[in-house]
Formats: sequence, C-alpha cells, structure tokens
Amino acid sequence: MTTLFDQLTARGRVALGLFALALLAVPFFADGYLISVITLVLWFAYVGQAWNVMMGFAGQLSLGHSLYVGLGAYASAALFVHFGVGPWAGVWLGMLAATLAGAIIGTLGFRFAIRGVHFALLTIAFAEFTRIAFDHIGWLGGSGGFFLPVGDAAGANPFDLRGSPALFYYVILALTFGALALCRRLLHSRIGYFWLAIREDQEAAQAVGIDVFRAKLIAVMISAAMTSLGGVFYAFFYNNLFPEQIFSVGRSIELILAPVIGGIGTLFGPIFGAFILTPLAELVTWGVESAGLDMPGIKQIFYGLALVAIVVYRPEGVWPWVARHLRLVHQPGDQPSHRAGDRP
Amino acid sequence: MAKDAGTNGPTGLGPMGSGLTRRDFGKATLAVGAAAAVFGNAPAFAQDKVLKVGVLLPRSGFLAQPGQACQRGADIAQTLLPQLGFPIEILGADTESNPDVARSRTEKLIQDGAQVIVGAFDSGQTTAAAQVCEQRGVPLVVNIASAPQLTEQGYRTIFRNFPTSSALVGNGLALMKDLFAATGKTPKSAVFLHANDTFGQANKAALDKLFPTLSMPFAAPEAISYDPKAQDLAVEVAKARATGAELVIVTTRANDAIMIVREMVKQRFEPMAVVSPGSPGMYDEQFYKVLGKYSDYCITNLPWYDPKSALAQQVGKTFKEKFPSDRYEGYAFNIGFTFEAILVAADAFKRAGTGDPAVLLDALRQTNLSEKIMFGGPIQFDEKGQNNAIASACVQNFKLRPTVVLPKASAEADPVFPMPGWQKRA
Repeated sequence: MTTLFDQLTARGRVALGLFALALLAVPFFADGYLISVITLVLWFAYVGQAWNVMMGFAGQLSLGHSLYVGLGAYASAALFVHFGVGPWAGVWLGMLAATLAGAIIGTLGFRFAIRGVHFALLTIAFAEFTRIAFDHIGWLGGSGGFFLPVGDAAGANPFDLRGSPALFYYVILALTFGALALCRRLLHSRIGYFWLAIREDQEAAQAVGIDVFRAKLIAVMISAAMTSLGGVFYAFFYNNLFPEQIFSVGRSIELILAPVIGGIGTLFGPIFGAFILTPLAELVTWGVESAGLDMPGIKQIFYGLALVAIVVYRPEGVWPWVARHLRLVHQPGDQPSHRAGDRP
Repeated sequence: MAKDAGTNGPTGLGPMGSGLTRRDFGKATLAVGAAAAVFGNAPAFAQDKVLKVGVLLPRSGFLAQPGQACQRGADIAQTLLPQLGFPIEILGADTESNPDVARSRTEKLIQDGAQVIVGAFDSGQTTAAAQVCEQRGVPLVVNIASAPQLTEQGYRTIFRNFPTSSALVGNGLALMKDLFAATGKTPKSAVFLHANDTFGQANKAALDKLFPTLSMPFAAPEAISYDPKAQDLAVEVAKARATGAELVIVTTRANDAIMIVREMVKQRFEPMAVVSPGSPGMYDEQFYKVLGKYSDYCITNLPWYDPKSALAQQVGKTFKEKFPSDRYEGYAFNIGFTFEAILVAADAFKRAGTGDPAVLLDALRQTNLSEKIMFGGPIQFDEKGQNNAIASACVQNFKLRPTVVLPKASAEADPVFPMPGWQKRA
C-alpha cells in the first residue's frame, strides 16, 4: 500500500485517512437518503476509474463504456435468474464477455489505425448495436426489461448481493478503493509506463520499441473488465435492466463525467469528480426547491451551467487544482524522482 | 353512481371496505388510544391528520410530456380530495426520466416524511422506487407502469392500479370483437404496425401470446416493425398496404401515429379502421392538431375515464377551473390513473386512521373502492398487489375529440365502422 500513498504529503495522507474513515462510518450516522446518494457517488467513482484506465492512462477515448456495464450486468443477472449462480461467480462471465468485446473493438480500431474521435465513434457504434441486439433477446427480457427477484431488504447476504442498502454501500466502497489500488499499481507497472508514453506521443513510443497495439489493447481489456464489474453491482442494486437505459449513449456520457470533472489521468480525479457531481445535482435540486421554483427542467439548466463553469475554469479537472492548493500531493520539484505524466 | 355492498367511496358516504364498519373502526381506535395511555407513549402516527403523499414523476427529460400530464392529476387531487374528506399533502419529486434519480428522489421523499409513494409512470423508474419502498417498508401505489414483472418480483409494498401490458393488449383485442359485433361488420385480415421500442415489443409479445386464445375473426396479423425515431414511414405503410389487410392494428406514440396516418392518406390506403389495442398516440392533442379531419374515426381500445362516473365529472370540472385553456380529454388518461393512485392511498389512510406504514399497507391490501374514474370494477388488489379489474373502453375520434363508443352503457356515441374514406371527409 505504500505506493498508493508515496505521492501524498503528510497532510494528504491525513486527509485521505480521514476521508476513508468517514466513508467507512457513513452507514452508522447517515440516513437512507444519504447512503443512497453516496452509494451512487461511489458507483460513478468506480466506473469513472475504470474508464480512466483507457482514456486517462492510455489516451484512448471511449464514448461507449455503457457496453461493458451492460454486458457485466446482463451476464451476471442472467446466470443468477436462470441458473441460480451467484453474482460473484457470474461476474467472471460478465468480465469475460466485456473483455472479449473490448478486445474486438480494440483490435478493429488499432489494427486499422482508427484514432481519436473516429475510435470514439466505433465505441459508440458497438454500444448501440449491442443495445439493439439485446432489445431482441427474449431470453434476457428483450426491450421489455429483465428483472431480478427481490431479496430480503433487511438482511445481508453478500454472496448473492441481496440485502440492505448498507451492504451495497460497503460493497461499492470496497470496489472503489480496490480500483484505486489497482490503478495505482498498474500505473507504476511496466505496462503503465507504456500507456503514459503512448498517451503523450504514440509515434515516439513506437519509435522506442513499445508494442503500441498490444499495450493499447491491454488498456481496453482491463478497462472493460473493470467496468463490467460495475455492471454486476448495478444489476443487483437496481434489480431491473432495460437495454435502452443500460446501453444508452447517455449512460456512457454519465460514466465519464466524474473523471472529466475530477481530472482525467489522475488517480483521485474520478473519485473527487464523483463527489462533486452527484452532490452538486442534489444541491441544485435543493436550491431550486427551496427557492420555490416549480419549473421542471430548471435543475438541469443550473446543473449544466455549473458543469460548464467547472470545465471552463478548471479544464485540467478540479482535483489537481485542489491537491495543489491544499498541498495534498508533492509538487514537482519536491520529489525529483517524479515521472512525467504520473499524476496522483 | 353504483355503490356495491362492502365497498367504500371517495365521498366517504359508502360503507367501509372489507367488512370494517365505522363502529369497528371506532372500537379499534379506542383500543389503540387505551393502549397508548397504558404504555405512556402514544405512537406518533396516532396523531396523523393528513397523509403525506410523495408523488414521483418524470417531469423533465424524455418522458416530461406524460409526466407533466400526470402531475396535473396530482394537482387536482391536492385540490379535490380534501374537499371529499381525504386530507392529503402532496410532496412532489421529479425523476428527470432517470432511474438513478428516481431512486434517490424516493429516498428523499421518504426522508421528508412521505408516508406513501405514488408513481412513477415508467416501469424502470417504478422498479427503482419499489426497491427503496421495499427496504423502508413504505407503500408504493403505481399510477402507470405496465411491465408484468413489477408485481411478480416479490415486492410486498407495491400496489398497482394499472393493467399489465398483456392485460392491456388482451382487453384491446377483446374490444375489437365487441366493435365488430356492435357494427355487424368484420374484417377478414389485419396487419400490425408497431414501434420497435420497449413498449412496442412488449405489445407485440403480448399480441403473439394472446391472439391464438381469443378466437379472433381473422388470422394472426403480419407484424411490421419500425424505428420509433424514424422520420418517414412510407416504406412500412407501403408494406402494410401490400398485405391487402382490411384492418390496421398499431402500437404507437404520437409522432409515429401521425406519420402512419399521413402516409396512409398519401398512399390512398383505405382500411376499414386503424385500431390501437392500448397504445397512446391517436388520442394525443398533437395528433388532432397535426392531422385535423384525418385524425377522426381512428380507434383506441384502452383504459379510459368513464364519462358517466360522478367522480370523473368532478375531476373534469376541477381540471377546467385549474387549466382553462386545455382540453381535459387530452390529459384524461394520465390524470385519471394518477388521481386514482392518490385516491387509493388516501382511502387506505382514511380507513387506517394513521400514516404508519405497516398499518397503511394492511389497509391498502383491503382496498375496495367503487367510486372511481376509470372503467372497470371496484379497485381491489390481489395478493401480489395487482388490480385485475381495470377494463378498457373503445374510444373513437369524432370531431377531433376522443369519444367513448363502447361499452354501450357508458357510450357517448355509436361506433363508426368501417370508417369513411380519407377523401370523403368534410
């Protein structure tokens, strides 16, 4: 775990420790509403972290990540409903399906040198035609939706992911911290350095002998597998899946907002971004209601304006700015060993 | 208005439901009061005078139009129900047409004191709300959502006063036979045009399943699906015309319904009728405004308000007072079911005498409401929380107005079948 903290200052480590403790304690002091909101925050932090592997680390833009959420969700839910296989066993099928889909997209895109927005369009296309396909798979409910049986709301069965909101809260908290640790480890591995080199200059990376195709493909596959795990959680948390919702482009955009706002390519950015976005939405709702404005849609206008302001004034993301100003991380120069592009 | 024995009505004049008399209820209240006095702490719910109803609707986002129409039902309920002796306070929440938001808004409504949740128009959002309600033990009365699984998943706190998609189609097809019998004309063939979305696919599945069991006078119709976002349906209508079908069955929303009829006029496709077994579209304001005289004679068989029901007339009157520039008929479907859902909750509260969720749940299970707005028998819920007594009406457009033509007892006019040709309309 030391590598997770080595770029944090003492103040940063204390802040992270307090933050982790506060998150662990949430179910002991928070009401159902707050637990529900923070569960949603952590889910977006988790899937944002997964997307960040592909875009933030390897520089490959995906606007179709809902594909992997959907594949993970449907695979585990189908195994559970049709064969009684628990989600932690079913997750492997979901990850396999998502990894395969990622490998196909990556192979197509990278083999034929499809880059940038064109690669992003390819990811959207796959998510869209998968949505249309799932609309017609009767075994999975088709467009009428796929429903999981209701679990014991008061109990706690972590093996079948059935139980109280607190159970789901701790599961997604563990996934979020697990993803953070995994990403930190990946970033400091050989493949992580390859990704950073590719992100900064693909031709230069190729010139120094990096197998660009392979490195980018690995990024896509890891990102897809991680995202599909988020899909498994989604399926058992909501108990219903509709292709139009889970594979939608809108869902893909929602997934990437947290890392974009928090800071693309940073480790804490997706988490910080998620903790800005969902509470901001709730805050705007509260503000609109408190002001007595009964105008449907006005919340989205304020929310959109707030996002525009963040993107305009902090284009690199909010986390790097906060970390710098609060001295939560070592500044360049504090530690000469810091590598270019290695953003905490 | 008919009052069946053992049913209770919103005016509070009918006997209490499920055999509970006022005297029994008084005794029960006294017993609770005595128990409270003995144990020192009167339960907080014993003092409830007003039921706090959390109304969860998609008032923005892609479902904003029907969501806002439903909201009008809630606004009317807030005005009318207290006058009828049902004290309620409505707490509103917008789901933004998003299940994630639906879930957190349900939590917030309960946090703010909602003792019952009503909503949420769409099956995905309703399931998200149902999860929270189940966890918190708070009743959820569904206004509109047709996925059969909602009441099949094992929720103990859900009550749906809306037909499932299969009941919707089944009732719609059965009414077609009534229409043929009433007019003495029967088509020999049919074609089915449907949107390829959640609702359209669910309707097609229901039609495929039910058709063989209903002894319809024509063979199973050929199905032609289309993208609901398509800008032109010329090819699909041409294909339908080429089948030579005498009856066009459709599952639409407003936009595609307009495109289909427009193309039929253009291509001079003159079937005996265009009939929808339960989908929206052909009774929407937009349909009348865009198509004018061509919107007339189209038929929709759907759950509808009974124009002869006293309560429906009261709701219509309140609508006119609150929204004088709008037509009641254009909103009646969404208003009717939302109002009834709130009425169901308010009625249970009145009988229970408390907003305590556990007691309210019991009262909801014993619901037996005969004074209502929509067609069908008294509102009662089976062990899964489904009301199976909702009937459909045959609604035909006359002079740009949806008009009940069947069942005969509530008909405002006689059905016209076959419909006059497109070029023969004044």
